[in-house]
Amino acid sequence: MRKYTPYMILAIGLLALAIDLLPNLKLPDSRATDGTRPIETKLGLDLRGGLRVEYQVQPVDGVIATAADVATIRDIIERRVNSTGVAEPLVQTQGSDRIIVELPGVSDPDAIRALLGTTGRLDFIPLPAETYGSINVATGEPTEGVKPVPGQGALLDDPTLKPLFSGDQISTSSVSTDDTGQRVVSFSLKSEGADLFSTYTSENIGSYFAIALDGTIVSAPYIQSAITGGEGQISGGSGGGFALEEATSLVTILKFGSLPFPIAEIGVTEVKATLGAAFLGQALFAGAVGILLVFLFMIMHYRLAGLVASGALIFYMLIVLALFRLIPVTLTLAGIAGFVLSIGMAVDANILIFERTKEELRIGKGIIPAVEAGFSRAWNSILDSNVSSLITAFILFYFGSSTIKGFALVLIIGVLCSMFTAISLTRVMLRAVIHQPRFSSPYLYGVGRGDLDSEAAALKPAGAQHE
Amino acid sequence: MNKIIARKRWFFLFSLLVTIPGLFFIIATPLSGGAIGLKFSVDYTGGTVWEFKLEQPADALVVRDVVAAAGHPEVQVTEAGSGFLIMRTKPLDLQSGSESDPSQPAGAELAAIRAAIESEVGPIAEAGSLSTVGPVISQDLTQQAILLIALGSIGIVLWMTYRFRNLRFGLAALVALLHDVIVTVGFFAVAGTLFGVEIDALFITAMLTIIGFSVHDTIVVFDRVRENLARYAGAPFADIVNHSIVQTLGRSFNTTATVLITLLSLLVFAGGSIRTFVLALFVGILSGTYSSIFNASPLLVWWDERVTARKSSPSARRTA
Repeated sequence: MRKYTPYMILAIGLLALAIDLLPNLKLPDSRATDGTRPIETKLGLDLRGGLRVEYQVQPVDGVIATAADVATIRDIIERRVNSTGVAEPLVQTQGSDRIIVELPGVSDPDAIRALLGTTGRLDFIPLPAETYGSINVATGEPTEGVKPVPGQGALLDDPTLKPLFSGDQISTSSVSTDDTGQRVVSFSLKSEGADLFSTYTSENIGSYFAIALDGTIVSAPYIQSAITGGEGQISGGSGGGFALEEATSLVTILKFGSLPFPIAEIGVTEVKATLGAAFLGQALFAGAVGILLVFLFMIMHYRLAGLVASGALIFYMLIVLALFRLIPVTLTLAGIAGFVLSIGMAVDANILIFERTKEELRIGKGIIPAVEAGFSRAWNSILDSNVSSLITAFILFYFGSSTIKGFALVLIIGVLCSMFTAISLTRVMLRAVIHQPRFSSPYLYGVGRGDLDSEAAALKPAGAQHE
Repeated sequence: MNKIIARKRWFFLFSLLVTIPGLFFIIATPLSGGAIGLKFSVDYTGGTVWEFKLEQPADALVVRDVVAAAGHPEVQVTEAGSGFLIMRTKPLDLQSGSESDPSQPAGAELAAIRAAIESEVGPIAEAGSLSTVGPVISQDLTQQAILLIALGSIGIVLWMTYRFRNLRFGLAALVALLHDVIVTVGFFAVAGTLFGVEIDALFITAMLTIIGFSVHDTIVVFDRVRENLARYAGAPFADIVNHSIVQTLGRSFNTTATVLITLLSLLVFAGGSIRTFVLALFVGILSGTYSSIFNASPLLVWWDERVTARKSSPSARRTA
């Protein structure tokens, strides 16, 4: 087995290098439209700019949404997002009642928020003539009712009103213009809705009729003639017609249906793309400086062994980056900090091993047994300490919110990879080196020339027996 | 070097001198209603933070008065460097279900503030990040912080107790990691009082990472203690612990040095939202190294002395 380890390591390294550097690699992905997904480094919104909205699903009359309802809401929101043409949107559920929407590089966040947050329940509500008055179609004479007809944008707060039917009866809708050139939304009804509409309009000619979106009046026209064909138009109310965006939003909402439960925004974050790019540049530069300083420190302290450890660190970074691209892990600012931190932890295993090796060298062991003892004796400490890191990282991953999860995932991958590179890889590389006679001086492993025997004597505790 | 255990009372005293003022400032936070102690960011309190840059630099106080007059008396405006101003208000523009008026379109309240600033102070050159946190998220986060730190601590004590087959090792590690939590939170309580440094959502992540690191250091020393207990069976416990600390000192210092190097580099060169996070890690990891060398292992000895003293004659307490 030991004979093949170097080849396996070489193969893993080459594979990682290919994943890191080759462009246009693809992975099969059943959820994607074309069945594949490109391998790429995904950046979080804080590094590329964009909009992030967190929604909470609201209960209706004390009824709480089930997991299936939340999933339905997620699907509807995702379809609404896709209709806007935003590239690479992310819509996901979190916990029992949260939905998170991340939209990189959005130019008009307010319009998208208005579209996504709408419950989208379109109601066709008859306004009884005895309360709201009517119009004599033949003469154009109005009959005043007890209440004024609500105008566009008004909240419908009369609990006695019941919708005739709702948006789910609309089969198709589109943006068009009416006879006077105003922008309207045309719709055609399914047969059930068409029958209801036909019966009601033919019996109540001259009465007012309200079309309300989530309880807010979109328009309230009066019935000029019976509408029997199931075709109709929604005009934008107060004379000016719809703005194009409003009309398109309404069509989108009608097309994908209303949400079974209303949702409320509970947090919104908007990052400008330029700011994100600046952060990314700074973080990468900081990481590079930090890593170079670690190399310098290791080489100064452990000389040849430090050089080997630095090589293992480069290997470590290649593998971790490849995993980030494969899984994929979305890198945020905190994630990059986690990655840089994990380098510090990866070095720790090597420091443990090298310090142990130095101790063995000081008591007079040869290079080869000293290095082997260094590895086997440091193993317990490395295992125990890495498991404790994994415990905290898993707790963060399982119970944390999405930013914290990203950081924890980076840390978990980092710890697991470092166990491999700092132990297996360094061991293979060091074994190759220590069998060369010219690399056998303890000086090359960080032991000072003078302290070979003196320290060993000084460090023995009083009364302790030599092994 | 070989008298770490003998001088353990001095090291305990030093830890107390650092943690007690920190604890004072932490406890003062709820007692003073936030005037002294930790300063929480909108992640915890809920609210809107908006960064923007004016074409003509203006005083933060002038902008504050304008926004306050536009209907947001609670507003705070501070300077953020490179010409940016940071505005903090109650949560703005949350649609349906928040305190804001659901009938207003998204972004209306912020648009009103923008208009007020542009007409009274001057044109806005660039708008940076905008973040609004509602009351629901901020409440979640506080509960999450307590839950995560409690679970993390319990998990680690259980793991240590299992690996070392001895509750003492687990509890000594727990004391050391609580020390580090208090030092770090205390540091930010003092910094918040003096310089207005705020802690945000990532602070929890930093605390958990510090706990993990602190235990890293403690485990390395304890592992050596366990190994030396077998090798030098019969030697006084205090001597074995002292010897183990000295043997692992090189590793402890070097590991801490490499981690601090990387953190320092992030602190100096990387900006943005991770500054506080990196600073917290820096303080916590420094404290973690101290506590595992000078608190956790000496605590083992102290406990051992107590147990021995109770079992045998009172003179046994003097062996250390």
